Amino acid sequence: MQPPERGASALDRQAEKLSAKLAESTTRRSFLGRLSAAALAVAGGSAVAAAVKPDEAEAFHFCGHIWTTGSCPSPYPPLARIDRKGLPLHPQSGRPIDNLGRIVDSAGHALDGNGNRLRGPDGEVLAPAPRTRICEDWTAEVKGLKDLRVQGAWFRCCGGQIRKLVDCCSRSRRRINGDASLVGYCWGGRRVYCVMYYDTGLPC
Amino acid sequence: MLETFTPAVCGSRKRQIVAQALFAVAAIAAAAALGLALGFVGSRVGAREAVLAAAALALVAAAREAGLVRLPLPQARRQVPDRWRFELPLPVWATGYGAGLGAGLFTFQPVSTFWVACAGALALARPLPAALCFSLYGAGRAAMVVWPRRPAEDPTAAVERLTRRRGALLRANVVALVVCAVLLALAPAAGGATLVAGSALDPTVSGGVIAFETKGGDVVVRPPGEPDVVFPDAAQPALSGEYLAYVDAGGIRVVRWRDRTEVARIADHGVSRPALDWPNLAFVSVGADSKRLLVRDLESGTTKYPARVAPGADLGRPSLRNGRLAWHVVTRNRSRIFVRTLANSTRRVFARTEIGRLSNPSLSGRRLIWVDARSGVTYLRHGRLDSKSRRVLARIRGRAASYWTTSLAPGAAFMTRWTIASGAAAVYKVST
Repeated sequence: MQPPERGASALDRQAEKLSAKLAESTTRRSFLGRLSAAALAVAGGSAVAAAVKPDEAEAFHFCGHIWTTGSCPSPYPPLARIDRKGLPLHPQSGRPIDNLGRIVDSAGHALDGNGNRLRGPDGEVLAPAPRTRICEDWTAEVKGLKDLRVQGAWFRCCGGQIRKLVDCCSRSRRRINGDASLVGYCWGGRRVYCVMYYDTGLPC
Repeated sequence: MLETFTPAVCGSRKRQIVAQALFAVAAIAAAAALGLALGFVGSRVGAREAVLAAAALALVAAAREAGLVRLPLPQARRQVPDRWRFELPLPVWATGYGAGLGAGLFTFQPVSTFWVACAGALALARPLPAALCFSLYGAGRAAMVVWPRRPAEDPTAAVERLTRRRGALLRANVVALVVCAVLLALAPAAGGATLVAGSALDPTVSGGVIAFETKGGDVVVRPPGEPDVVFPDAAQPALSGEYLAYVDAGGIRVVRWRDRTEVARIADHGVSRPALDWPNLAFVSVGADSKRLLVRDLESGTTKYPARVAPGADLGRPSLRNGRLAWHVVTRNRSRIFVRTLANSTRRVFARTEIGRLSNPSLSGRRLIWVDARSGVTYLRHGRLDSKSRRVLARIRGRAASYWTTSLAPGAAFMTRWTIASGAAAVYKVST
């Protein structure tokens, strides 16, 4: 008879292998998508199930956003497009922009349409303007909240690439819309205050 | 109502005069109060929008008065309460009649001009001037009551004479409304500001004299009523009474601008952005590892170092007035306006933001203006050192243009407005 801890560790190892295999083969999106499609297939027939493929998502005000929380404040409202660090990007081109909405280079200098650094009326290159995080800085200053954090996210397929929709979370019980906030994918007592998105460029 | 202000009704000639005086004072005061309220509301709404709306309203009103469109007018079809003169003492009813008619809102409106005047007061966005203008409406009301006439004449005779000229009056009213519409429409050409100098930037004002840099690379000093004084190959002027500081090829030069006598020089190619409050000169010095803001007493030679920033930060053109220094620091994380009292070196952050760009402050007494650039809009803001309240003097919507450097004088603010794509710039003035 094996010692209790050895039997338990074998079971743990099996469970671990199973969960690792599951994580490798599916994303939360695809798993939930298939599960919901299966449930609908049981309830409403294959025709309905075929219409709810985990595919291009209808949105309320931008692709992928199927809930009602408004976008975070940004240089180009209502499209709060961000990079991996939460800094603003131009909604159409995806190029880095400063807080004034100008396309900038890696040093933060604003660029003109030809890619040259903008010059002021005195002929000198314009100094960089601030470029700060949409959630922790923009929303915090515009709405006067001090506890904003980027927490949960979910993924949708938009324009042939995977879009990551990101929750900017706060302990406030009011969201940016002005009404009661939802928990969404926030945790630690926080709720969704506003949303942003990051386009990964990965095909889907 | 006019029949009320007769010796017979009032009780005597003396009482008639008292009643007329009270009516006139009340009418003018009520009209002025209405103007004050409208001007205050307009200052909160935003001058540009109100001006355009007033111009549009004036055109519509002109069309109505010309008979081209039929539009009902908002009005209270009421006359003054007749029973007041039977039930109330003379001072009370005379004042009440004046206040009711002077306010304009509680009686007939034969033409639409009153409502255009209300829109104009909103557009003026300045309570006291609006009150002054509107008091003229009350004076007009009072004029019909106190208009001198022959003792035996019917008191309504003056009104009857005006009525016979109604056609001419209505035509004159149409012309006046069209002229108002044109003037109002032209006013917002630069956000409500007045052009001071085209193809120019970096205004500086002292004692009624303005100086600026031209796009051609000269500094022009423009004293009122006198010819311009031009300093060729010069930039970034700073005026202080009879003294002018500017940047040239050798550094910063300080002169008496009337006779061009040099009184001081900072010989260093790395210095720029002077601000002058004689004998103190503030300027920015750029070194290899930092940028520094210096204040030098040109008479004693002592130097103070109020600020130092990393090379990548923007340390902007300072402003120096009445022993206070203001400047901006912009980094990639935040933007701040600092104010420092030179006598005791106390420094405070007057304004800050992490989502916009605050720059180019200008001091005058205890007041401060600065440029607040955001995404899609640029503001020229005004504040006081002893108050947290802020207001917007001017704004530019869109991304094609913005404000640059500023200068504050008693009663007026001067700013460079520039076009981002071309770099074209001009100096404008707006009332404070």
